[in-house]
Amino acid sequence: MFNPNNVFTKVITLSPALLLALLILPVIGGLVGVLLPAFSYIPALGEIGLSMKGFSALINTAGFSDMVRLSISSAFISTLLAFSINLLLVAAYFTSPWLNRIQRLLGPVLVIPHAAAAIAISFLITPSGMIARLFSPWLSGWQSPADWLLPHDPWGISMILGLTLKELPFLLLMTLAALAQTDLATNLRAQHKMALSLGYSPVTAFFKVVLPNLYPFLRLPVLAVLAYASANVEVPLILGPNAPPTLAVAIMNWFNDVDLTLRIKASAGAIIQLLLTIGLLIVWWCGEKIIKRITQLSLVNGTRNYADKGITWFVHLLTTVIVSCVLLSLVGLILWSFAGYWRFPESLPDQLVLMHWQSAFSHMQTPIMNTLLIGFIATLAAIVLTLFTLEAEQQRGYTLSRFATIVIYLPMLIPSIAFLFGLVWFQEQINSQHALFNVIFSHLLFVVPYVFLSLANSYRRLDPRFMNLAASLGATPTKVFWQIKLPMLATPICIACALGLAVSFSQYLPTLLNGGGRINTLTTEAVALASGASRRVSAVYALVQMLLPALAFALAWFIPKLLIQNQHKGNHA
Amino acid sequence: MHSLAIKHLTIWQQSTPLISLDETIQGGDILSVMGPSGSGKSTLLNWLTGMLPATFHAQGQLYLGQQELTHTASHSRRLGLLYQDALLFPHLSVAGNIAFAMPKTTRKQRTDKIHHALDQVGLKGFENRSPASLSGGQQARVALLRVLLSEPKAILLDEPFSKLDSQLRHEIRELVFAQIREHKLPAIMVTHDCVDAQAAQGKIVNLGTQEYNHA
Repeated sequence: MFNPNNVFTKVITLSPALLLALLILPVIGGLVGVLLPAFSYIPALGEIGLSMKGFSALINTAGFSDMVRLSISSAFISTLLAFSINLLLVAAYFTSPWLNRIQRLLGPVLVIPHAAAAIAISFLITPSGMIARLFSPWLSGWQSPADWLLPHDPWGISMILGLTLKELPFLLLMTLAALAQTDLATNLRAQHKMALSLGYSPVTAFFKVVLPNLYPFLRLPVLAVLAYASANVEVPLILGPNAPPTLAVAIMNWFNDVDLTLRIKASAGAIIQLLLTIGLLIVWWCGEKIIKRITQLSLVNGTRNYADKGITWFVHLLTTVIVSCVLLSLVGLILWSFAGYWRFPESLPDQLVLMHWQSAFSHMQTPIMNTLLIGFIATLAAIVLTLFTLEAEQQRGYTLSRFATIVIYLPMLIPSIAFLFGLVWFQEQINSQHALFNVIFSHLLFVVPYVFLSLANSYRRLDPRFMNLAASLGATPTKVFWQIKLPMLATPICIACALGLAVSFSQYLPTLLNGGGRINTLTTEAVALASGASRRVSAVYALVQMLLPALAFALAWFIPKLLIQNQHKGNHA
Repeated sequence: MHSLAIKHLTIWQQSTPLISLDETIQGGDILSVMGPSGSGKSTLLNWLTGMLPATFHAQGQLYLGQQELTHTASHSRRLGLLYQDALLFPHLSVAGNIAFAMPKTTRKQRTDKIHHALDQVGLKGFENRSPASLSGGQQARVALLRVLLSEPKAILLDEPFSKLDSQLRHEIRELVFAQIREHKLPAIMVTHDCVDAQAAQGKIVNLGTQEYNHA
């Protein structure tokens, strides 16, 4: 007999396994698909004997060690900077309402795609950019743009700046989210007060009392930032040096080369990239243990104050600089998108025109449609899978295993460049015709971890008394799921949707690779244009890239309110 | 030895007066502040420690001996706090918790002092234990040592015994009061328990009825 309840329960029971398979198979398969060619096994090219020639070609590539050094230094320095600034901000404003105000100011940066943020930063620091214009000619004396190698400086300073500014809001949000967990927050704040009453000045009290108990909540976000910074391609493409580029960018270029034999070298590079990222994660983890060891004694040495006044002033200054940088890049982007003729030292364009927007929009329709289509399907699939998995967890009565949790966050930690090429190879074997499907599937890998991260807490904390009450009134688990849980979770579900869309909108590498270059989205177009001639068209693309996720979050904020209003109307009728 | 003086204090919540108080506490004396919840007991403590939320405003002065503390930063007041929860720092050992509170001295001096103090309250050899492994009574004793060895100028007690069971409660109460008298510290205890207030053998102020008397 057909029973909808049973069918639904079966689907629910199966979904955790499905979710795990969906994440683990492509990642593992992709890694195998890179590992084989790395050791020169490519039957399609007539290479079937295993050898190390990919690796020796890689090591003999001119500038190889520079690429590795650049990847390591930019990832490590930017992560360390973002993390330190984050701690300083939280320490200095721990008891002040400014902490939430700064988060509100920087929060929007979070949803801006990396490519758009990098474009905005490049407009800020380029010799004819907003900073140079603001200080010229009255301070610098420049009548024409200086001859700086910005933003593509060979040391990767622009890249470090871009990554730091982009990752800081993410770390800040994660810190505040940990501090918003009521039980933890109450304890930490009470302990901070206790330290103050023992004569510790506020910043020192934060580092000695709050940080050691807060850090475990920041570990995964920091490692994700480090992994991303070491292997991403869009920020180095827009802000990094060209010759030699970072390892990840070089690998991408070799894979996309018409010379297919370069694929062996590229695969070997992907393996090195994977080791490099894992190595960085291990170094960070060891560094954490060493610092803990070293500071253990100074925690209780009785020093109440380590130049707290100076630190507080420094943080005030730093905050002002960071917030001004963010605002100034945004203003610069908007001005460029409307600028007519704009002579160098002038802070404002001579005239404002709509021309760039009009011409961009005439070419933008297909990329926008693709972006939305891919984003909506990937997000919908991710939301359904996540909700079903969380529901299965509650019906079984125990939470996901540690292994499952690690698998869900795997795509955040493993560099995408290391497994995406292998995945492309597999997809080519199965169905090379469906570029759009392949892109959506690859986006799903990156959307799921964020959707899961954002929904899991609200779902697990739902007051069980509501469900017990519904069950005592005779509602089946299926009915409780659809009629109690989902409506009660309307707000977190909408926010998870917006986050999923924002993550999908910002994907560059999966779109480019898994679509075989045939699917254009706003992000791929924006990255392609960023190295091109027209700064004005590039500004328009970056702004539209920012507007789409902003729109998604505005809807996520608005829809639950609308739903609640309608429910109340229905009750009165 | 100092006295703690609250002079002409009035605290308003928005525009409604919540507390009025004018008291001087000599060293070794304990002022008990009683009253139902909502009568402003914790607001008074927040004012004393300099952590009054922005929704309140206060008039009046706080003196420690001749020194005015009214506008001194929280962490510079040197008023020791004892809560109903021990609030031991979970990432530090028992000795670490106490050392954290002590004024800066050499490591040797600190270790000796901690050893001696633990011995006195019957926790000999507990130095390296983690706070989570202690019983409620043991935690309360470590919390007390932590406050005392921070060498405060006065002590504020916020319902300090309300989470202890009755046998333990009596024991810890006697210990705390004895230590306050021995160190000749002025103390203010906020409580809703008459037995606590009577055992303190000091003046008892009732915030709830005081409000009523003014009306």
